[in-house]
Amino acid sequence: MKITILTFAQTRTQLGFAEKAVDYKPEETPREILRRVAPQFDPGKTIRVAVNQEYADWDRAVGQATELALIPPVSGG
Amino acid sequence: MKTQIEFTRSTIAPPATAFSSSEIGACLEFSGIVRELENGKKIPGLYYEAYEPMARAELDKIFNELGGKHSCEEVLFVHRLDFVPVGETSLFVRICSRHRQEGLNFMGELINRLKADVPIWKKSEK
Repeated sequence: MKITILTFAQTRTQLGFAEKAVDYKPEETPREILRRVAPQFDPGKTIRVAVNQEYADWDRAVGQATELALIPPVSGG
Repeated sequence: MKTQIEFTRSTIAPPATAFSSSEIGACLEFSGIVRELENGKKIPGLYYEAYEPMARAELDKIFNELGGKHSCEEVLFVHRLDFVPVGETSLFVRICSRHRQEGLNFMGELINRLKADVPIWKKSEK
């Protein structure tokens, strides 16, 4: 199964891609999926993750999902 | 509550008010304007990007939550994307309610939530 990783703002520069489709298993967590794709990248405490366009937990299994987005601190307005 | 969310790459031209109810007694408008100084440095403008489907979903969620606390009749939310020059509007919000206090509360909380949770980003360089 494939999931598309989306990056925004500074995470796009840090990871070097805007989106990337990768293989995944539903029991994997966002942190595990990201570690496989970018082992050097640490989201730390400031970067949130969204699964299928909803904020999610870095350490909870993604289940059936199509999108995993990295959400750095937002600054709209 | 009637809500409308727009993302645009053009200058924001707020539509004329056409109240959906004759019980509307207060109408608030907020414009966020791009300032010339960013961290003490002069800039020509700001670049905005959004994760648009999620931003829409988050805004809908926030509207529903705030509507339960501060009853309002209409919410119009417009955010610009890409380059916005200094002096131009990057965000426009119009909230119409029966009484002023609900609208004022809704507006204040909406802007705070926008800046905390809605996936929109600005940067001074592309």
